[in-house]
Amino acid sequence: MLAATLAGLAAMPLPAIGREGVQFGLTAVVVRENIAFFERWGRYLSERLGRPVIFVRRRSYREIMELLETGELDFAWICGYPFVRRREPEYLDLVAVPIFEGAPLYRSYVIVHRDSTIRSLEDLKGKVFAYSDPDSNSGYLVPRATLARIRLSPDALFRISFFTYNHAETVEAVANRVADAGAVDSYVWEYLHRTNPALTARTRILHRSETFGFPPIVGRRGGDKGINAAMRAALLTMHEDADGKSLLAQLALDGFGAYEPSLFDEIRQLARRLSDPAVR
Amino acid sequence: MRLLSPRGWSLSLKLPVTITAVVAGVALTIGLAVLVQERARIRAELEERALLTARAVAATAVEPMLRSDYWTLYKSLVSMASGGEASGEDLVVTGMVLDSAGRVLAHLDPAANPLGLPLSLAEPEDRLWLAAVLRQDRPAISPGRRGKSDYVEALAPVLANDAPLGLVILRLSTQDLQARTVAAGLTILGLTAALAAIGSGLGTLISGRMVRPLRELAAGMESVGRGELHGLPPLTAHDRDEIGQVIDTFNRMAAELAEKKKLEQALATSEKLAALGRIAAGVAHEVNNPLAGMLNCLDTLKKRPDDASLHGRYLPLIERGLNRIQAIVHALLVELRTEGDESWDTGACLDDVRDLLQSEIGARPIRLIWDNAIGPDLCIPCRRVQQVVLNLLKNAIQAIPDSGMVIFRAYGGAGREVVLEVEDDGVGIAADALTHLFDPFYTSRPTGTGLGLWITYRLVESMRGVIEVESEPEKGSLFRVRLPAYATAPATAWGAA
Repeated sequence: MLAATLAGLAAMPLPAIGREGVQFGLTAVVVRENIAFFERWGRYLSERLGRPVIFVRRRSYREIMELLETGELDFAWICGYPFVRRREPEYLDLVAVPIFEGAPLYRSYVIVHRDSTIRSLEDLKGKVFAYSDPDSNSGYLVPRATLARIRLSPDALFRISFFTYNHAETVEAVANRVADAGAVDSYVWEYLHRTNPALTARTRILHRSETFGFPPIVGRRGGDKGINAAMRAALLTMHEDADGKSLLAQLALDGFGAYEPSLFDEIRQLARRLSDPAVR
Repeated sequence: MRLLSPRGWSLSLKLPVTITAVVAGVALTIGLAVLVQERARIRAELEERALLTARAVAATAVEPMLRSDYWTLYKSLVSMASGGEASGEDLVVTGMVLDSAGRVLAHLDPAANPLGLPLSLAEPEDRLWLAAVLRQDRPAISPGRRGKSDYVEALAPVLANDAPLGLVILRLSTQDLQARTVAAGLTILGLTAALAAIGSGLGTLISGRMVRPLRELAAGMESVGRGELHGLPPLTAHDRDEIGQVIDTFNRMAAELAEKKKLEQALATSEKLAALGRIAAGVAHEVNNPLAGMLNCLDTLKKRPDDASLHGRYLPLIERGLNRIQAIVHALLVELRTEGDESWDTGACLDDVRDLLQSEIGARPIRLIWDNAIGPDLCIPCRRVQQVVLNLLKNAIQAIPDSGMVIFRAYGGAGREVVLEVEDDGVGIAADALTHLFDPFYTSRPTGTGLGLWITYRLVESMRGVIEVESEPEKGSLFRVRLPAYATAPATAWGAA
């Protein structure tokens, strides 16, 4: 009887909300709020994979990582920092790395308000600072490591710090002067700079970090082997067809590439330097 | 001045003004009452909205505050304060979440109110306000600010298991309220003006319907007052209201008056004929009396033509009789003589009468006081007036038994009139004689013809004047004649009276 009910539901044109098809998790490394774009990309990938691809959004990186670990998600676009964390046993495969401005690299920006009197990182003393996510490389790890390098303790330095769990909202928090400064993914900032220049115009980049491996797309290891390969193939060849090209253009990316996990060694070193016990 | 006093206003103005004033007053009163009520309602609505929003922010603020998630706190404050589309962005003056010490945890103006710092308040008054509101333990509209400022302030404490974490303060602008009040006020004024215009139009219409028959009535009454009863068309009553009844009554009255006048005229004609008959009978009687004596005398003389003694006895008798007849005929002819060629002159022509009178007085101890004050600016018909004055003065002299005084006064009276007064201190006239004074052949003297005063009366009447008598027996009499006077001789001569 239950089976009959399910079959009846399946026959309906609008499927009920539930786990169906390929689950693709999204984190704040991209501007997740662009619903129309992700619907289009989902349709594109569904076609390429021959299976429906559903994008799944969660507030924090940690939630996405947990869903990957429990198998709720098949793929996710995550940050390099959670990627370099130790997993026993390893349950992730590196599927593809986006290529941004010619390389699979990005930076961390420390931004302040356009009219702010802050001229250097030292000026951040006693200010309000916005991190994006405690598991973010560019929005947490890099600024803290940068400050530590110039012998400033981030926890003692700021009057208040808070997490926005979203790079785009970090830009907003600084633009609205809720925070005096914030750490943001350079890719997100540049993306917003193109799509919402009025917002980024209210901010100023105080500090640019060195480059790091771009937030990668990972797949669950031990799942359907074929699907990981199919996804990699679909992503790596996106730039070869017009539809994929236009999608990449909307993402402000050149394409996707296949890289070794060593691409994220700099992040690993950084985490190690900040004595993150979860990093090998 | 007349316009300023409503008592001087015409009904056609009074009625529309009254209706307009009443309509406008009622409209304005109701409008203002509605406005006040509406304003109170909108304000209550605004307060409720402020309170609801503040409470909603406070409810969602607990979790972020406990987690120090200031970004979520700020976002929920912004999203709640900006509310729905209808609320408008101008509505929210300011909104904030403070911790229980008064430090900013979220503020709609983050640039001016940095996170984690005490709310910056310059005025001591504001610090007192903050201290007061931080003690707030229930959601409420800030009482101290109600009705005073241009915003409504809602306070909602953030409570975690009844322990105060902080306070949400939300201020909504009352400018929209003011604008809506002004707009509503203007609408009411417009409506009042429109209603007043309709009212004044209605008033004009009604007053037109009321005033037109009243005006016709007034004109009709004026005609009646002037005695123009004939050719007065009956007025039409348009409505069966009180005015209609008045018009009907007036029509009946005018018809009755016209009828009465007709009867009076008929009566006057028959009276005239009767008077003529009386005159003819009087003349016949007066002429007949001496005639009989004279015929007797002539008969005796014819029988004895040589008796000279009879000549000396009868001829004077005959002469006296003829003289009497001549006097009667003269008197009757006076009226005819004076008609037609009238000589107009100034009042000085009356002085001729004075000389004639002196000879009438002769040697009698009668004093004549002459006071002719008619100026050269007035013009009178000399012969008739002379005749009138002469007749009256002769009567006055005759009324004095032995010695006495006769006064003649003539002056220009009020308006264009001439007043002639003849006064004597003679025997006076008995009360019952006064009623017959001007009748023809009525006389109190054995030798009088009884025509003097009748002729005087006729003359005065022919000049469209009036004659009055004041008399007291044994004291004297006063005859006063009032005549219309002219600056120059009138173009048309008076017809026969």
